[in-house]
Amino acid sequence: MTASAAFGALYSLAREEGSAAMSGFGGARQSRRKFLLNAALLSAAAGIGGSTLTACGQGPSGEGGKTRGRTGKEGETLFIAGFQWGPPNHFNPLGQSAAWPCGQGSMQLVYETLVRFNLLDGSLQPGLGKEIQEPDDSSLVVPLQEGATWQDGKPLTADDVVFTFELAERHSELSYATFWDYVEKIEKTDDATVKVTLGREPYNPALVKNSLASTFILPKHIWEPLEKQGKPMGQHENINPVGSGPYTVGSYNQQQLALTRHDDYWGKEITGGLAKPKTIVHPIFKGNQDGDLRFERGGVDVMQQFTPQIWKMWEVKKLAVSTWYKKAPYHVPGGMPMLVINTTKKGLDNPKVRRALGFAINYADIADKAMSRYSQPANSSVILPTGAEQKFFNKENVAANGWKYDPAQATKILEEELGAKKGSDGIYVLSDGTRLGPYTAQTPTGWSDWQNALRIVAANAKEVGIEIRTKFPQAPNVTSSVQAGDFDLACWGVASTNVATPWQRFRDVLDDRGVAKPGKPAFWNYGRFKDPSVAKLLDQAAAAKDSELQEIYNQLDTIFMKNAPMIPLMYRPLEFFEFNETNWKNFPSEKNPYAPPMFSGAGITWLYKIKRISEA
Amino acid sequence: MRMVRFTPRFWISAGVFLLVAAFALLGPIFVGDKLGEGVGGLYDPPSGAAWLGTDDLGHDIFTNLVFGTRTSLIIGLVAGAVATVIGVVLGLIAGYHGGVVEEALMGITNVALAIPGIVVLILLSVALDFRSIVAMAIVIAITSWPWTARAVRAQASSVKTREHLDVARLSGASTLNILLWDVLPYLMSYICMAFVLQVSSAILAEAGLSLLGLGPSDSVSLGIMLNWALVGESVRTGAWWAFVPPTLLLTFVAFTLLMLQSSLDEVFNPRLRRGRQRAGRPASVLTQVGAPAVDARSKEGSPGA
Repeated sequence: MTASAAFGALYSLAREEGSAAMSGFGGARQSRRKFLLNAALLSAAAGIGGSTLTACGQGPSGEGGKTRGRTGKEGETLFIAGFQWGPPNHFNPLGQSAAWPCGQGSMQLVYETLVRFNLLDGSLQPGLGKEIQEPDDSSLVVPLQEGATWQDGKPLTADDVVFTFELAERHSELSYATFWDYVEKIEKTDDATVKVTLGREPYNPALVKNSLASTFILPKHIWEPLEKQGKPMGQHENINPVGSGPYTVGSYNQQQLALTRHDDYWGKEITGGLAKPKTIVHPIFKGNQDGDLRFERGGVDVMQQFTPQIWKMWEVKKLAVSTWYKKAPYHVPGGMPMLVINTTKKGLDNPKVRRALGFAINYADIADKAMSRYSQPANSSVILPTGAEQKFFNKENVAANGWKYDPAQATKILEEELGAKKGSDGIYVLSDGTRLGPYTAQTPTGWSDWQNALRIVAANAKEVGIEIRTKFPQAPNVTSSVQAGDFDLACWGVASTNVATPWQRFRDVLDDRGVAKPGKPAFWNYGRFKDPSVAKLLDQAAAAKDSELQEIYNQLDTIFMKNAPMIPLMYRPLEFFEFNETNWKNFPSEKNPYAPPMFSGAGITWLYKIKRISEA
Repeated sequence: MRMVRFTPRFWISAGVFLLVAAFALLGPIFVGDKLGEGVGGLYDPPSGAAWLGTDDLGHDIFTNLVFGTRTSLIIGLVAGAVATVIGVVLGLIAGYHGGVVEEALMGITNVALAIPGIVVLILLSVALDFRSIVAMAIVIAITSWPWTARAVRAQASSVKTREHLDVARLSGASTLNILLWDVLPYLMSYICMAFVLQVSSAILAEAGLSLLGLGPSDSVSLGIMLNWALVGESVRTGAWWAFVPPTLLLTFVAFTLLMLQSSLDEVFNPRLRRGRQRAGRPASVLTQVGAPAVDARSKEGSPGA
């Protein structure tokens, strides 16, 4: 299993802005750890000492024939994988590690958001709301879609939206409670319109829009009585979730989760009909290997899993499998896992040493091997060079001030700029006697693409004379060490692409405001980097018009490149999007780009456009 | 003192084991220090440059195999030694002392035996953030000593009744002295065999843990190679060179050690020495009437016999 199937998806939402958000993130990791342990124990019990158990769900065998697809009920079912790794615990979007698809940021099958993020162009597509209007610079107005109803038939109104957000004002432990850091009030102007009044200090409309785009709206008539019970909101099990989406939770057990189409879905006029699959089944696998194997055999139609060398499925095995691109990097980049550097450790507190490390790392090797070619080599910029952020990516600035794989330059910095001397063991010692290593680089065990990236970093660093050791503890241990600043180096995530990036990613990398002292958990800038000019620039950027942004981002990126508080290691997709067209066809791809390659946000569009292979 | 006669089976298995050990120890001279260096692409097939192809990081699998075998052997030997020492010490004390001490020690041993080893192994490994090779060996040893302790206790309690121990006691020897010089020598052959078995099972235990991703940190072992092959899904992508060599080598090491153990059994236990019997050598020359069958083994190879 690999890094970050869970991480990417979970991170983008759970992390939104800050502390409360992290609880959701932690919960997700909890389930990953539980999964790991379960896998280990199970295989041990089975006495085979491996984790290649084959899950025995009721999925199809994929033998339905390549041309006609599956028949009967299985033919009308969409098999999806990569979101649920253990038996479902609860379906409460307010709780930690809710079962798919009820956790915040999941595919909008049961619960829906006001607007939906589109990875390809950074736009916000209509959801329960038509759009986000900005009548002035201190308010956002969301007109709701006409005729929206809950799955129990009750109308969905502005009251539900206001209730959902105000819930987080009363319950600060909820993952989207940071909404209120940037918002003064949310009110209904009429039954079908919601108005958000932005706060001034701090002022950040982008983060608020991101909350509006990523928070599931809950039915007031169900959750208000629950709130009155006085129990923490995250602890209700919500066994029969009532949402507004096109599916309801049908049945579930330890092997699979099944969703049934809600044929009275309010939005069918807008979407041009009901979603195509009558049922959606998510088999629960014990690990990536099982899911990948089932996918290859046509037993899973579409999934979000790190699948090594997936191109072999069509290049060598000639299967009807594809990703967004048919060629490398196969997926649309959406995140930027970082080598987070603890800038308080001796040696690593020197920006020149960190830059030398930046020059030492072979980014092409990481992209090619650790990421199985699913990434372009990472640049030394906080801005993604593709998609919605591309317009801010400044190639010249990166060439002038950044770094790239160039071990000779690393040696030059160490020897000429720092006057370091190489010891007999091949490791440099700075002029003040600080030996460059051994530093420990960590990332959670089982997150194999990140582990491999760190193994490459360690080998590269050794070649230029910096000693790095790798260790791969359990995920919760890595989380707490990274947050508490109790680490030397770590491979860890920062904000994935959303409507508030790259601003949010700059904040995650550079901003020392709101970052706890070492020993206490911090939720961004884990390496405790400090630069006096960052705060002002970030505040300017938050309030800036698009035309002014480029200049501010240039300055921030230059600060980043001159100081290297983190080093981007790779680009990874927001969600891996892989499909096997042996039963369903017309999934979106580069050649057929009618929807973004996502499950969350605007990705739901493809669910209405796919077709049975047996259809003409 | 009579020379112990080794069988061809012993020489073959010992020879093969030494070959494997030489491969691990002397291999680096031939493969150089390529460990952790990329020599090719993602799962390149075997070629002149990389005899066994490359792994998921483009590292040379032959180099990994050399260093991996070394790590696995070190873990096996250290874990085997530690487990044997713990087992022998507890077994000797329990068997020789008898009474409450025996009850207590064997109680602990039985409890340890009753807990499934693999669960303890996994939990201990999960609890350690950084697992050095030695730490790994000790974790494995902690879960594998009990059966040695039980067997040694059985042997020791039978040796305890021998007359020469009375002589030693009468001459004023301390308990430690008696255990070391009058009891232990009778058990040496048995301990030898137990050690060989412990090494073999420790190597396999390491492989199992590493396969689950709980192996030693920052190093390569045969099990870790298998783990990489597993997460790289080399089976699905057809990269057989990633998982066949370490599997074969593991099988080879484990089989050789089991052969070695059973051939040692043959050497030390006259009843199994059929070939010799046919050659007219009295096998039961040292077997005392009334001595328990297991006891016959220990006396044969021991210096005191």
